Amino acid sequence: MFVSEIDMLSPRSLKECLFILENEKSSLRLLAGGTDAVVRMKEGKWRPDYWVNLKHVDELRFITIQKDEIQIGPLTTHSEIINSPLLQAHADVLVQACQEIGATQMQNMGTIGGNIATASPAGDTIPALYALGAVIELTSLSGKRMINVEDFFIGPGKTAAQPNEIISKIAFNVRGKNDIGIFQKLGPRKAQSISIVNAAVTLSMKQGTKECTGGRIAFGSVGPTVIRAKKCEAMLTLGPLTDEMIANIGRVAWKEVMPISDIRASASYRRDMASALLERGLYRLLKRWAEHEE
Amino acid sequence: MKTIDFCVNGKNVSVICSPAKTLLDVLREDAGLTGSKECCGKGECGSCTVLLNDVPVCSCLVLAGQVEGERVVTVEGIGTKQAMDPVQQAFVDEGATQCGYCTPGLIVASRAYLTSIGHVPGLDEIKRALGGNLCRCTGYTKILQAVQTAAARQLSSREL
Ligand SMILES: Cc1cc2nc3c(=O)[nH]c(=O)nc-3n(C[C@H](O)[C@H](O)[C@H](O)COP(=O)(O)OP(=O)(O)OC[C@H]3O[C@@H](n4cnc5c(N)ncnc54)[C@H](O)[C@@H]3O)c2cc1C
Ligand code: FES
Ligand code: FES
Repeated sequence: MFVSEIDMLSPRSLKECLFILENEKSSLRLLAGGTDAVVRMKEGKWRPDYWVNLKHVDELRFITIQKDEIQIGPLTTHSEIINSPLLQAHADVLVQACQEIGATQMQNMGTIGGNIATASPAGDTIPALYALGAVIELTSLSGKRMINVEDFFIGPGKTAAQPNEIISKIAFNVRGKNDIGIFQKLGPRKAQSISIVNAAVTLSMKQGTKECTGGRIAFGSVGPTVIRAKKCEAMLTLGPLTDEMIANIGRVAWKEVMPISDIRASASYRRDMASALLERGLYRLLKRWAEHEE
Repeated sequence: MKTIDFCVNGKNVSVICSPAKTLLDVLREDAGLTGSKECCGKGECGSCTVLLNDVPVCSCLVLAGQVEGERVVTVEGIGTKQAMDPVQQAFVDEGATQCGYCTPGLIVASRAYLTSIGHVPGLDEIKRALGGNLCRCTGYTKILQAVQTAAARQLSSREL
């Protein structure tokens, strides 16, 4: 099929969009910012009969706070996340992840919904969403369902979403003033690079100490999907985060990740870097915490 | 084929094309605006940068059907030979162009960046803002200088 044969539907509302997904018999694919979709179209991988252009489905573009929950619409661009005062205050780890995506143009075009749906093991917003304990809302004509972000990804490019479903919301709990987070990425260069390894960490600190009451650690690009490093997480609460403890956590991370060798890096390099990124992230977080306490 | 109406550089245009044709190809082939250049065709180099509703995007990854009713500005809309934008003038004065292939994209991206800030940016700030624009000739030094020069001129003319 030639690119010139692909048609486009531009629904004006979510309902119209869901109706198309439910009833249209030709092959379809949603189109948000196009930064993954158009590249794959050009490569010949994705040539649907119709692009379903989401641009005019304005109800999917929002950043709000409802009671104790932050809610983000899937059409929100990475730039909108970076510039949101609400997210800067409550989701530092996600803001930092979006700052590391591509460069200005890609941040202006790419959306969080597209990043999630592409389900790349190296997708930068995904570890941040794991670390925030986010849930994803899927909507179809027959209703809505919520799914934990960790249960959403099945493998590279594979998700739990059905063909008639659309990602309609990303949500996570508002964090307390003792909750801090950080995103760390290693790519071949600073801008415009796919992660060789990335890591997201959130910690709940105990006032006036170097101890934490809990935390989440997620790594990307070290397995078929983003993973949570639960063994490392279990160590976070064993005692104060001293140099020795951080080094031990790094060592456990080295064992806990399961990377492969590919064109971007070897498995052993990825292991080394996963543990280095985690140690560096923990040090930086503790430094920030100490400054905040002063 | 579909008729797509949108606004380029302040003028309404109507083109008949496949909706999956890239905006870059529409601009160059249907609208006769050959300033924007195609290099990588996949969002990495920025030579195709245009403003879509005032925001810099890579026109090689925007599809024609997505710009129906929207506003696009290309390098031709930033300034003309007769009335150059301060960014364009600074690129000339600082010698920030060699083969010129990256220049239209850099002019558009730099213009948008300088419009969004009110100070003369440091080198690291410019590198971050223009990280999506590659140049294979200049080694960037003169481009960075040109952006600073344009920023300084823009500020002093605002203060006048
Ligand atoms: C030069 C370049 C650099 C990049 N750098 C990075 C990087 O550093 N880090 C990174 O993580 N990614 C990077 N990317 C990948 C890409 O930009 C991101 O994944 C982006 O967030 C995708 O969003 P989009 O809106 O462009 O998605 P699209 O390309 O529009 O869509 C991607 C997929 O998501 C589906 N989809 C979109 N919205 C929804 C929805 N609401 N519900 C269900 N399915 C949906 C589409 O059908 C499609 O299958 C880069 C891409 C390029 C071209
Ligand atoms: S041609 Fe569009 S980014 Fe390179
Ligand atoms: S001047 Fe030749 S690519 Fe920049």
